[in-house]
Amino acid sequence: MENLNIEATKYTPKIDFNVETNILNIIGKSYPENTFEYYKPIVNWIEEYLETIDDAVVLINLDLEYLNSSSLKAYFDLFDLLEIAHDEGKNITINWIYDEENDISEETGEDFIADFENLNITLKIKG
Amino acid sequence: MNISKIRNVMAEEGIVFSFSGMISQSLTSFMVETAKIQLQERGEDGKLIRNMFLIAIEQLQNIMSYSKDKDIGDGTKYTSPGVMVIGIDKEKNKYYVNSSNQIIESDRVKVSQKIHYINSLQRDELRKYLRDKLRSAEDKHERGAGVGFIEMAKRSSEKLEYDFEEVDNKLYFHIKTYI
Repeated sequence: MENLNIEATKYTPKIDFNVETNILNIIGKSYPENTFEYYKPIVNWIEEYLETIDDAVVLINLDLEYLNSSSLKAYFDLFDLLEIAHDEGKNITINWIYDEENDISEETGEDFIADFENLNITLKIKG
Repeated sequence: MNISKIRNVMAEEGIVFSFSGMISQSLTSFMVETAKIQLQERGEDGKLIRNMFLIAIEQLQNIMSYSKDKDIGDGTKYTSPGVMVIGIDKEKNKYYVNSSNQIIESDRVKVSQKIHYINSLQRDELRKYLRDKLRSAEDKHERGAGVGFIEMAKRSSEKLEYDFEEVDNKLYFHIKTYI
């Protein structure tokens, strides 16, 4: 399977998914106008990838400074997908990374933790 | 047209940023980033700026999606006429994001009911309501999760102010969100 790399724009994050290291990074802002269309190929890639990983340890780093409301929904749906994979025995760890001063992002991370109890989500202050 | 009239009105209303015209995604980005820099230069607090940024995005993307005159380019890109201002209410000493666009009559009741319900909720209830809506996806449509007003309310220090105005047989929707 090929790595997925998408450069950031003013309103979409940088995507850096590496199948050798099993580290998936999403960094930046997310407020596209056609959010679900934008995330479709990214989510499709993840779905396909999850089929291939067996017992590999997967680390997902999400460092999202701004999320519009439709992006919140897109990430909610992504967590749904990851939770199913987790319940099937996949080894997935998620870091929700935020700036110390950004309590909006911190609260969003807390809500994801509360909503996806089975998932291994850790809040991390950006170092 | 006397341009200084506009400048006077803006000074009276405490407006620090304003736009009127066709709103698109690239303009949305340009406007929120510019407003952010302006507030930073005024020495405003990071949290206030983040709230302004998110509220303005929701208002502008609402205009793009729901404006009656929206122009659906290739099915993924919309442009719509609208007005947005960001200013300081001198009495409340609070920033606000205020916008207006034309909507269709059948959206009037829908929007009123939605905002009326959101305005009845307390802060912790809003947080829960948003999560419930994200889970159920009942208001999801092709362009959004249908939760923009909830997000605006979460970022606001007051209830959402809104009204409808008929001018020359056209129906306009106004929304004002205080930070």
